Parts: sequence; C-alpha cells; structure tokens
Amino acid sequence: MLRSCAAPLRSLGALRGPRGGACPPLCEPRPALRSFSSEKVIYKDFSIPNPSWSKDLRLLFDQFMKKCEDGSWKCLPLYKHGSLQRIQDFKTFFHDPKFTKEDVMTQTRLFTSSFEEGLGFEHAMFYNDVEKRTVCLFQGGLYLEGMPGFLHGGAIATMIDSTLGMSALIAGGIVMTANLNINFKRPIPLCSVVVINSQVDKVEGRKIFVSGNVQSADEKTLHSEATGLFIQLDPDKSLT
Amino acid sequence: MLRRALQVVARCGQQGALLRAPRILPGLNPASAFGSSTDSLVSRFCPEKTDLKDYALPNASWCPDMLSLYQEFLEKTKSGGWIKLPSFKSNRDHIQGLKLPSGLAVASDKGDWRIFTRCIPVEGQGYEYAIFFHPSEKKSVCLFQPGPYLEGAPGFAHGGSLAAMMDETFSKTAYLAGEGLFTLSLNIRFKNLIPVGSLAVLNVVVEKIEDQKLYISCVTQSRDQQTVYAKSSGKEVPSLSPRPCPATTHPQDKQVRGSGPPLGSSSFRNGVGHLLEAQVKCRRSQLGFLSTCELPNPYCTDSIQVTSNLEPNAHSEHPLKLLPPQSQP
Repeated sequence: MLRSCAAPLRSLGALRGPRGGACPPLCEPRPALRSFSSEKVIYKDFSIPNPSWSKDLRLLFDQFMKKCEDGSWKCLPLYKHGSLQRIQDFKTFFHDPKFTKEDVMTQTRLFTSSFEEGLGFEHAMFYNDVEKRTVCLFQGGLYLEGMPGFLHGGAIATMIDSTLGMSALIAGGIVMTANLNINFKRPIPLCSVVVINSQVDKVEGRKIFVSGNVQSADEKTLHSEATGLFIQLDPDKSLT
Repeated sequence: MLRRALQVVARCGQQGALLRAPRILPGLNPASAFGSSTDSLVSRFCPEKTDLKDYALPNASWCPDMLSLYQEFLEKTKSGGWIKLPSFKSNRDHIQGLKLPSGLAVASDKGDWRIFTRCIPVEGQGYEYAIFFHPSEKKSVCLFQPGPYLEGAPGFAHGGSLAAMMDETFSKTAYLAGEGLFTLSLNIRFKNLIPVGSLAVLNVVVEKIEDQKLYISCVTQSRDQQTVYAKSSGKEVPSLSPRPCPATTHPQDKQVRGSGPPLGSSSFRNGVGHLLEAQVKCRRSQLGFLSTCELPNPYCTDSIQVTSNLEPNAHSEHPLKLLPPQSQP
C-alpha cells in the first residue's frame, strides 16, 4: 500500500527531471496540467515562476533548476488540491464516505496553495536523492503578516511543516505530523526569500524523524531551526 | 459589545487592585518588569470606539457548536472575568503606538497587509475564530473553526493552520499578560486530525513568566473534550524598546548615538510603546530577536543594562532593575 503511494511521487519526480534540463519550463508542454472533464477541475502546477516572484526567488529557482539537469536534484510539483492521486492515496484511510465526495474535493484547497499570486505562500520545492535533502524556496506575501513587517510565526510553521513533511513523505509514503518543534531565532521580513532545508535524520519503524532550518537567501542569517516527528499511516487503521 | 467589554475591564481593574500580590505566576509582577499592567494593556487592546471591522463575530458559516459555545462565553463576559478580544484585519490595527525600529520598513506601502489568521476574507473558507481572555487568571480560550481553504489531508485542517492559530492565540495572550510579542519557540504534539468545518477549542494558559519570557501552554480539543487534537507549548518575549538602540559597542551596528530625540525622564508610559531613559544595550540572547544582517540592528550588544537616570512611572511598583547577564537561550 505504502509502496504504491510512493510510486506516484517517483513518477512525478521523473517527469520533472528532464523537463528542467531540456528547455526553460514555460516553453515545454507541461505534463502536470490535467483537465478532468468529469470534475471540471484543473490541477495546476504551482511552482512555475509567476510575476509576483521577486528577483531573489527567481534566481534561486533558476539555480536549482540548473542543478536538476544532471538528475541529482528533482523539482517537486505542487498542486492546488494536492493532486487527485494524493486524494486517492488517502481514500483507503477514510471509511467515512463524506470525505471522498467530489463536491468536497472541489471546494477545498491545499492550504499552502490557496492564495492569489504573490499574496500568500510563493514557494518551490526541490529534492536531492543522494543527499536525501529537501529544499524549499519560500517567499511570504502580504497576507502572511504577523508583527508589522514580519512573517507570522504560524506561516513559518506551516511552511516548515510542509517541507519537513515532504521529506518524510518521500522517505515513508503517506505520513502525518505527530510533533513539530520550532525555535525562532530571527524574524523573517515580509516578502523576503528564505530557504528551508530539511532532511530525514532517522527512521524507526513507522516513525520518521526529520530536522530542518530556515535560512536567508544568502545563507548568512539563520531564521529558525526545527525538528519534526512524522508517522507513517497504517492502512489497517482509520484516520477518524 | 465593546462598551460592555470595557465595563468588564473596569471591574477587573478594581478587583485587580485588591489582588495585587503575586499569586499564580511566580517570579514576576508584570507591572514592575514591563511597566504596564494587564488591565492597562487590555484597555488599550479593546478600543471603545473603532471603525475597524471586528472579524471575531458570528457569521453564517459558524457551525452550531461554535455558535453556542461563543454565546456561553459571551454570557461570561457580562458577569465579569472574561473579555472577548477584537480581531482586526491586521496587527497594525491592534498594536497602535508600537514603533518598530526605523529601517525595518514594510515591503509595500499599499496597505494591503493582512494578519495571517485573517488572510482569507471569504466567510467560512479560512480561519473562523474568536478569542476570549481572562485577565486575572492569564488564560485564554480560542474557538477555532478551520475552513476548506485550510485543508491539509483531504477533509482535515492542515497542521500548519492549527500551528498558526496556536501562535496567534499565544501571541495575543502573551501580549495582554506581559507584553509578549515575538514567539521564541513553538512545540506542538499533534494527536488527532481536525475535520474541516468543525469546532476546535484551544485552552491557553500562561504557565509562568521568567527572565522576560512568557511560557505558555495549550490543549486543543473538541467541545466535549472527548478528542484531544493537539497539545502545545511556546515561549514569547516582549519587545522592550521600540526605539533604535543608541550607540555602542557592536562593530557591525550602523545605529549611531543620538539618533532620534533624546529620551526624557518622564518617558515611562503605559502600553507597548514605553521608552527607557538613558542608554540601553540590548542582549541578543535575552531578546532572542534580531533584524537581518542587511538592516541596522537596533538591539546591539549583549546585556540589557539600564543606567541610573531611571525614573519609575506611577504604574510600576519597582524601579527597573539591572538585568543579570544571561546565557544563550
């Protein structure tokens, strides 16, 4: 079961690899765009650079896309709904049909992708198979403010949870966050670009221990440090 | 509504005067440490008249559980003890008079910032919440209903959305309890998933205030308390001085002595905007907060020392003491 969960991710990753090397992303037909005529939902790949991305973010994104060319790094696609495949993967954990109704699916949005361009979480994720490291380039928009001029601690926590969770997902299939610990060292100015690094420290049975940090784009400032514990879901147990 | 809240505040103030001796929170009398009492902070936080829209009010998207629990707490605000906190679109509206050090300017001057927990304006789609605060017991209750745009696992709220709700409640509670503003750390143990559209109740308590840090804990559960969604704890620190730190010893510091008007002797004030007279050198580790490298760092060196020209204000009970050197938190 869990193997089949990881497989879609790997195939998505494989789709991404050559794309970065062949031509600039916008020129190529995008395999990630699909239109499901029965549900009238378009799953858009949200990690394409858009006009709201700052110069810093674009630069970093291009640097990492270059790294994808030799296959050591992969760009991870991000979806508004977290993909139909993802929902299919979760279906086996839900015994309540309420959660798999189509209208619920179309009304909901994955939290980190539910904002208009530039106002929320502008981010892109990359994964290095050799170093087993996930990197998220993140630019927080105006709707993520906490203290005036700075990112809300909760917004930072959300991105850290997403990035650490992606590391755990790649390592162990469908996972849930059990613990999340964040030490905030320095506040992150609004609309600045930060790099969230994350890696799996160890796996004990169904427990996956992940750690990460948040650094400024130039790596001179350490903004936060975080650790997390994720649990692989047991297909024999229901979530509710 | 707000007038009623203010009446409650006034009553709390009277009760507070009788109960001034430290009881629940060892190690701190907030009035002495930060120059402002909880009552005065609450009265600043809950304005009598405002044009600002209060988002923490019932609307059509609220589930029946949330509506009825909200009414229960509203009743408690009438009898005293509890206060409903207003919730505006931006923190800038909440914390008036707080001046951040110059140089930490905002990215856009269009005025369309939003506090993260009010980022999704469509009723019922994002964060629906209301926070009630109990000044004398320094605890809060947050009624939280996550909408479909906060989804993580299909049908359930994203862990990050709950983390943000906890952080927001911690922040408001810490501010009113002891002028805490910045989160130093957040530790969350997720137990169960919160279904989208259902009510989660966050019970937040200030455990202690020590070394200018507020230690806060929270249990998030269903209304009937049968399901625990998460347990968390956090540390908040206050912003001590909003003014750029004059001088001194830090070589990288671009702030110069004498920038800004001289600090007057009568400059102790209520609220977050209080100023410290004389020279203030800030300890990195104590505050746990720095601006980024490119910006002038207003909090320059390693120890907060207040020299002798200090005059306590009428509201503080003890003069500000020299803070002992602290090790890195």
